[in-house]
Amino acid sequence: MPPLHLVWRNLTKRKARFLLTAGSLAIAIFLLCLLRSLVVALDAGVKAAAADRLIVQSKVSLFVYLPQSYGPKIASVEGVERVMRWNWFGGYYQDPSNFFAQFACDQDELQAIYPEIQLVDGEWDDFLRDRKACIVGEATASKYGFKVGDSVPIIGALFPKTDGTTWDFRVAGIYKSIKKNVDDATLFFHYKYLENALDSGEGSGPAGVGIFVVKMAPGSDRTEVMSRIDALFEQGPQVVQTTTEAEFQAQFVSMIGNVPLFVSSIGGGVMVAILLAALNTMLMAAREQTRDIGVLKALGFGDGVVAGVLLWQSLALCACGGGAGILLAAATEDPVAKMLGTVFPGYEVTSATLWAAAGATLFVGLVAGVGPALRARGLSVIDALRRTG
Amino acid sequence: MAFVPFSYNLRSLVVRRTATLLTVLGIGATVAVLAGVLALQQGFATLFVENGRDDVVVFLRQGSTNEGDSVFSLERAQILMKTLPDIERPVDGPPLVSAEMYLAVRREKVGGGETNVPIRGVQQGTFRILGDDIRLLEGRAFAPGVDEVVVGSKLADRIADCRVGDTLVLNTTPFKVVGMFDHSGPFKSEIWGDRDRLAEALERPVFNRVIAKLKDGADLADLKERMESDPQVPCKVMTEREYLGSQTTAFSFVLRVLGAFLAAIMGVAAVFTATNTMLAALAARTNEIGILLSLGFKPWAIFASFLFESLVLGLLGGVVGCLMALPLNGVDTGAMNFQTFTEVAFAFRVTPEVMVVAVSFSLLLGLLGGALPAARAASLRPTQALRRD
Amino acid sequence: MAALIQLRGLVKGYTRGGETLRVLDKLDLDLEAGGFYALMGPSGSGKTTLLNLVGGLDRPDGGSIVVDGEDIAAMSGPELAEWRAEKVGFVFQGFNLIPVLTAQENVELPLLLTRLSRAQRKEHAKSALELVGLGDRRSHRPSQLSGGQEQRVAIARALVSDPMLVLADEPTGDLDRKSADDVLALLRLLNEKYGKTILMVTHDHAAAQQARTIVHLDKGGRLGRIEVVR
Repeated sequence: MPPLHLVWRNLTKRKARFLLTAGSLAIAIFLLCLLRSLVVALDAGVKAAAADRLIVQSKVSLFVYLPQSYGPKIASVEGVERVMRWNWFGGYYQDPSNFFAQFACDQDELQAIYPEIQLVDGEWDDFLRDRKACIVGEATASKYGFKVGDSVPIIGALFPKTDGTTWDFRVAGIYKSIKKNVDDATLFFHYKYLENALDSGEGSGPAGVGIFVVKMAPGSDRTEVMSRIDALFEQGPQVVQTTTEAEFQAQFVSMIGNVPLFVSSIGGGVMVAILLAALNTMLMAAREQTRDIGVLKALGFGDGVVAGVLLWQSLALCACGGGAGILLAAATEDPVAKMLGTVFPGYEVTSATLWAAAGATLFVGLVAGVGPALRARGLSVIDALRRTG
Repeated sequence: MAFVPFSYNLRSLVVRRTATLLTVLGIGATVAVLAGVLALQQGFATLFVENGRDDVVVFLRQGSTNEGDSVFSLERAQILMKTLPDIERPVDGPPLVSAEMYLAVRREKVGGGETNVPIRGVQQGTFRILGDDIRLLEGRAFAPGVDEVVVGSKLADRIADCRVGDTLVLNTTPFKVVGMFDHSGPFKSEIWGDRDRLAEALERPVFNRVIAKLKDGADLADLKERMESDPQVPCKVMTEREYLGSQTTAFSFVLRVLGAFLAAIMGVAAVFTATNTMLAALAARTNEIGILLSLGFKPWAIFASFLFESLVLGLLGGVVGCLMALPLNGVDTGAMNFQTFTEVAFAFRVTPEVMVVAVSFSLLLGLLGGALPAARAASLRPTQALRRD
Repeated sequence: MAALIQLRGLVKGYTRGGETLRVLDKLDLDLEAGGFYALMGPSGSGKTTLLNLVGGLDRPDGGSIVVDGEDIAAMSGPELAEWRAEKVGFVFQGFNLIPVLTAQENVELPLLLTRLSRAQRKEHAKSALELVGLGDRRSHRPSQLSGGQEQRVAIARALVSDPMLVLADEPTGDLDRKSADDVLALLRLLNEKYGKTILMVTHDHAAAQQARTIVHLDKGGRLGRIEVVR
């Protein structure tokens, strides 16, 4: 029976060192979980995209608007069940740093095209009937204290009011999204409200439709429908690009830059740092245990068994540190999500992330332990006993 | 004032080679990550800030934050250009003022994926104002009134269809790439063409900004005030340098915060490693400390000695970290400036400031790591220390 | 009757600083079962080396070491480990107790190599500690024991798995006179009452007088005279 009680005793013998190493491991593993969760959040929207929704946008630029006349034309394409106009409003609440998205959309189509959006407070009918009404996501509502019936003044940056006042929306409902592709932080209002204001001169800004959101009729061939829509406008006046919702989300992610590369580089740096920390500790411990190793071997414990004790020491140390880091990541999921709030919604620490962290911990434990273990295995009894440790 | 000789510390570091090496590498990795992120930020910021001119003034629509938002109708732009006071009017040519159109267009990247590239529709006035700042590297300038463009030097290898001789299709209109130009600032990530031709192709009959070279001695502050409240065309006035600087603030800020965050987290791990190493060194040298004390060295000298050793570790770590980060200098990269939502190509810049910050940080790590062990060392009593352990 | 330990043509050398030193030079020696041998000689005479070889801690460069019919010089590393666990108990000058374990746990350590249950191991260790007079110090760590007490724990550890051979390397070297006497008395007890064959390296003449036979080695690793004490 291997002397495994030595594993724990040796680790905790020097409490300061144990806590320091486990502490640095915990912090590093926590950081890795954080990084991975951010990447997961970016991908989450893409993954959860609906298969039957298409986005029709200008092929030329995100900032080019499509003619109003495109709407009915798209609606008449075979395989299109519903079409909705959708404009990025680009305003802010009180201060530019208070960021959350606002969109003007055809309110009658919203619920049908985006069934994920579910009201937790207020009435859909109320929203549909009142031109100046809006629905706000839970996260934004709770952050700024918006309640049903409140008036939310938004300063138009892209669409300023000619008289310099704010656009005032009445909160008719608070929503929550049941899937990840729509976040809980957006404000939706009536397209007609924007359209009328631009027509009357009350507000100014780019004319036209930002994008059209299309819901396909069940059973239609997606690729076919996409080509049909693109073909409609090949000759202009504005060439379009129809994509699936997943592709549309992905394009934003890829525009942020080479996120996977960036995160991997940082993650790699972190891994190297903690590996060195663990290795340092294990080597120091092993050196101090040289005489003990000699004693065990003298008593008749085999080379492999003795090496095993050192390897287990490394694994146990990493399990403590990594475990603490994993627990920390899981426990802080809500506070961090809240902190990232409306700017980076969708933060979630999935079990896949936690398993990956456990794997990383195991890896560090093995790599940091293998050196000392092999050294212990090859140490001759006489040499080991001769040392005073 | 009897200090423990420094050579004692340096030799001790060499004797415990492995631990020293691991600690230095650990601190080095942390410093390298910090330096890398800062170098990214420096590369980005200097591209903009260093290359903005003080003698070129930019006029944007009131209330806009960047060229993308700022939209002047044709009429207003012309009024502005005609009525602006203080514009330099050379004897042998038209006044140095020009109106430009700006749009971030969607282009495919070489190697897959999409990104947003700025397209700038310029009038000939722009070339007269910027003069030698724009250097033709290959081909020729586009001819006014023709569907031709010139591309910035950074685009040729990164964006599809951006080599001299290629054809770029914008909306439904093909444009021939007739030349490649260089600029020390951000213009080298842009595509330039005749404003009128581009406006027609993109169905975008607007201007985004007006630039001008003012007469020597013109009062900029006065101009700013007057133009802000101008009854016909109120606008925001700033030098090109100020404008470019304002475009970097958000991204720079994010990078700095990211750098600080990573440095803090990895720094804690590095401090732990340093403390561990120093504690182990202390444990191994207790006897030596006893000898030093019995010889007459005071406790504070022991404290200073250990702290010095730890600072040396920090310094070495800082140097190693900088060496690891140096190869990044000049490496081309790109990032999405989310303030303007366009891709900017720039190079990492490991500036002296970056290295100073990095090394200061590593010294701090060394200091923090050594504090506890130094305090413990200094509190040893000779009889304790000299007893064989 | 064949001697318990038969050494034939034993050769062992060390290389230090580029020079090879012959520590044992074709040594022949017989050690009888139940004997209590003191190994003495000037420094460099190879007495510790000889002890290590007999205990299977080291391998000779040449010759054979037959213990109870088995040539341990021909055994592989793992085989030697098993053999040591079963046949030998060690007592070192520096005590060599594991500092993180209590006295009881230190004594139990060799028993982990046997098939005894946890309860049985505890029992055996307890008895061994009582035999050396430290039953009441079972839960103490080595740092809480005096030098003499530590060595007695080491002796308890050496006999807990009932080995036939006890090898002691300068067991009284670090002890005061009183503790040294206690330790030597214990060794005599192990030999006379429990029939253990004891091989003790020492440079202390008084200690050697507690043995029954003194084997002298001279400088050059050759056998000197063999002196019978009792």
